[in-house]
Order: sequence, then C-alpha cells, then structure tokens
Amino acid sequence: MQALSPIQFLKYPFTKRIELIMMELKEKVAIVGYGETPVSRNKTERGELVLNTEQYIAWAADLALKSAGMELSDIDGQGLAVARPIAPHPVIWGPQVAEDLGITSRFTIVADNGGASGALMLMQATLAINAGLVDTVLCVGGDAQLTFDQELTASELTRSNSATKRTTGLLGLNRDLIRPVGLMGPTSMFAFVQRQHMSKYGTKLEQLGKIAVTQRYHATLNPNAIFKQPITIEDYLNSRLIADPIRLLDCVMPLNGGLAFIVTQAEKVKKFTDKPVYMLGYGQCDNYYHGSKGQPDVTYTGFSDASPRAFQMAGVNHSDVDFFQPYDDYCIAVLMALEDVGFCKKGEGGKFVERTDLRFDGELPLNTGGGQISAGQPGLPSGMLNLVEGIRQLRGEGGRRQVKEARIGVVTGLGGLQYAKNVASSITLILGN
Amino acid sequence: MDEISSYYIDVSEVRKRLTEEGANYDKPLPSRTTITAPFWDGLKRHQFLIQKCKNCEKFIWYPRAWCIYCGCRELDWVPSSRRGRIYSFVVIRQVVENTPSWSNEIPFVVAELDMEEGIRVYARVRKSNDGKINQIQINAKANIVFDDISPDVTLFSLEVEA
Repeated sequence: MQALSPIQFLKYPFTKRIELIMMELKEKVAIVGYGETPVSRNKTERGELVLNTEQYIAWAADLALKSAGMELSDIDGQGLAVARPIAPHPVIWGPQVAEDLGITSRFTIVADNGGASGALMLMQATLAINAGLVDTVLCVGGDAQLTFDQELTASELTRSNSATKRTTGLLGLNRDLIRPVGLMGPTSMFAFVQRQHMSKYGTKLEQLGKIAVTQRYHATLNPNAIFKQPITIEDYLNSRLIADPIRLLDCVMPLNGGLAFIVTQAEKVKKFTDKPVYMLGYGQCDNYYHGSKGQPDVTYTGFSDASPRAFQMAGVNHSDVDFFQPYDDYCIAVLMALEDVGFCKKGEGGKFVERTDLRFDGELPLNTGGGQISAGQPGLPSGMLNLVEGIRQLRGEGGRRQVKEARIGVVTGLGGLQYAKNVASSITLILGN
Repeated sequence: MDEISSYYIDVSEVRKRLTEEGANYDKPLPSRTTITAPFWDGLKRHQFLIQKCKNCEKFIWYPRAWCIYCGCRELDWVPSSRRGRIYSFVVIRQVVENTPSWSNEIPFVVAELDMEEGIRVYARVRKSNDGKINQIQINAKANIVFDDISPDVTLFSLEVEA
C-alpha cells in the first residue's frame, strides 16, 4: 500500500482512516509462534511441578521460540512485552525480565491490565514494529501465583502477598471499602452483575450452565486442561454456591503457568512460518460506564464500546466469525460478552446460548480449549490462554478440537473488577490467517 | 485520634487500641488515609459523609482526589441522606480471599445501595433480630446505619426497610 502523507491521511473520513490504519498494521506484522506451558497447582504431595515466575517466563518463551523456529538471537536486541503477575515481582519489571532472559531490549513494555494484558501487548508490539522501532517482539506472561520465593523474609512475603495488593483501586479500596464489608474477591463482585442481569433480562441458570458444560466438554479434548471430567447441567445447578448466585462451576481454578507469543515484521514472516496469524481488528475501553457515572447499568461492559471499532477495523461481520474465545472469569461474563461483542442483542444472551451450538464443530465455537473455567487460570496474565487458543486454531493446530477452516476469530481480554461496577479493562481482538 | 486525623493510620494500631478498650472485633478493619480520614471520623459522629464538588455540585463515591465529573479538586465533605434503594445484592455463602472469621456470619448479604445522591455504595446488610437473612429484593428501600465497634471505631452497614 502506498504511503500517504499526513495531510492526505487526514482528508479521509474517520471510518476510512481506521480501515487504512489496520490495513497498514496488518501488512506490517504477524504472529509467528506461541507457547503455553503445562499448568500446576503447586501441590508437591501430588508430584506437581513447583516453579517460580522466572521459570514459567523462560519456559513459555522457549516454547514460543520453538513454535516460531527462532533462536534466542532472533529476539535479542529486539522488543519485549511482559505482563505483570500476581506473584511478587520487582517494581521495575520489564527490563528485569529482559535481564533474566539475558537479552537486550530496544523497546520494553509492561502490561498491567490483568486478563487483558495479552491483547494489549499484541497491539503494543504491533505499533512498535509498525513504527520501525524493532523487527520482533516477544510477548510473555508467567505467573507462579501459588509459589513463593523461599528466600523472601516472612514479612516481605506477607506485605507483598496480602490481599490489599491484589486488586485494583486507589487509596487501598480493597482494604478499606471492600474487604471490611464482607466481600469475597472478584467472585462476590461479579455476583452483583449476574443477579442484576438475571433480574433485568430473565437470564436463567440453565443458560449459564450450558456455557459451563460446553467449555468443560472442550477441556476433555485439551491435554493441557486442569479439569478432565465432563459435567452435566445438573452438576452445574447443584454445584456449591460461593457468592450467590455464582456457584463453584462458574469459577476458575487459580494455577501457575506461563504463556507467550512472538510478533515479527511481515517481511520476515515467511522465514519463520507458513502459518502467520494477523491482528485484523482491535478495540479497547477501560472503566466503561453505561448510563450515569455514579450509578451505571452494570449489565453493559466495555466490550460494547470496544467491539464495534474492532469489527469496523477488520471489515468483517459477525457471520464471518469462525470462533469466539472470550475471557471467561465466570459464565455470566461469557454470556455478557456474547451480547456486548455483538453476536446477539443486549439481554438476549441467554436465549442465544440456548439456541446456538457452541461446540467446536457447531455454529459458534466457544472457548475451544475449555476456557479458563475448565482449563484453569494461570495467574494474572491468564487472558493469554484464550488468546493463544485463538492463535492455535488459526494455525490449524487445534488437534481434536480444531475448528474446520478457521479463518477469522474473536478473542477478548478482560482485566480487573471495579468497585460497584464491572470490568476495568475490556479489549476486543479480531484475528485472522 | 483527632490530632492525627490527617495521617495514615495502620490497621495494627487500630487493633491494638480495640484490644485495649476490650472490644472484640475480628473482621478486617479499614485504614484511614489522607483522603478518607474525614469519612471515617464522620462515622464516629454517626454521619455518612460524602464528597460534593464545589464546582458542579455533584456527589462522588468512593472518595476521590478530584471530581470525577468536572475535574475540580475542591471537594467538600457533606452529610448524606443515608437513604437509597438496593441495586443488586449477593448472598455470601463461602469465605474466599478474606479472613476465616467471616464463617460465623455466613450466610450474610452484601448489597449495592444506590443512594439518593447518585452514588453506589457496597454495604453489608444487617441481619434481622431472628438472625435470618432479610428477604431483600432489588429496588428495596434501605438506609445506612452505624455500627459502634468501640469508642474509637465506628463502621457502617445497611438496614432494609420492612
């Protein structure tokens, strides 16, 4: 595509400019490899792996390099993107990871929007390469949230791992206005949203249960998934209530793990892979509020703001989409994502789930690896799990759960829950091959 | 406590004082910070103070460093009506990511209260006299009430109107 001068560019209407930007970005970069380590619950008595964050980062990077057919020298002196973990880590994190890996970085970015970190890193890597700052960016997120460095003193451990540090919010929100009133982490915070959604639109537990059952079925086809037994709707309905109406089979299992992907310049792509994956569309909205700022309608999330832009950039319709890998901290989050990303109207998510075959060989394949609810949540950067599954499908490496002729897929990243609201960071990604 | 009302106070100091006063409160305690000190002090006087913007006169919650509507950094603390309606609620049935001492309260209800002033507040719902969870509903009227833990510490919760 011929380069435009800024003046020529600005003459185009906004919608056309978005298309031009994305065409430019798409032509310049591609994902050429990915890595996903096995996960661990850190239980030595069960013979499970006990590794620290640095080890998961290196392992994930190693898998991504092998997947791309790259050597360490291909990422040394290039760019690095790192996702912050829950596990204790230095305040200056990005450059530290570069040093731990023994590489020099000419563009270092740290993403700290939790489960949306993977998506954000992909855009940051794309922009850096497109701008000509570097040719290649390794994007990595490792988190040994269940493992603690034996050498930290007891008080350092307490301070760094206390619940006060685990959530969003200025002024010690979690410490002062959330924990003291008896709230129990994100499950209880999302429970308000589910209750409101059920009350306002008549969303039924059976509809949410279908999401849990379908994703668990996909997990049985995924050797990396932590849960390997199928479940039924009855199992879902009977599962223990945690923060009513949210139940055990709505929730993820926190694990240790590491994930990575490598983005490089289009000119180099053929050297490394014949299965490049492109970012076709991107939309982000953090701290979205629907209606009034003080008393928003929490049944709408930032995906409703971000997704139209992503689809516009990609120039595709929802009917073109071959699979959907939404960040799934809870079944209600998946149901709301179906609405807010635009597969159905607001409030109709339940009915959509009821009438749609969400299996990998059905109408709209949903979290084909089982999602985090059934495959597990490898720490704070866990949104990379849904993202890597999207990359895997577009490379035709989905094994027993491969979506036939997968060409275009939607992935979402979701980070953090805000006080008396809902999602803090929402990113909609459209990928293609 | 007034002479240090603008300083950050550590929870461990509060707990020490509670024990000295013979109070027995085993749940997480909030800390007073430079922004929120007036709020916690107001609770002791049985006032639920909230920030009001000097410029646009909107009310703000949770306590912020500037008005989230117009960006003005001059915010007053004013007594609220304490009145509102339940926007949504959760019935806590399991202790997760919080102190185990909550287990003797389970099950209990935490609500999101949409207050008349246009803010939304998390608050635990007081159990009725028979100890049962109130049969609360979305849109039920409710009021902020005060829990005197000790002469020095007052917290807040919610009472649903019958």
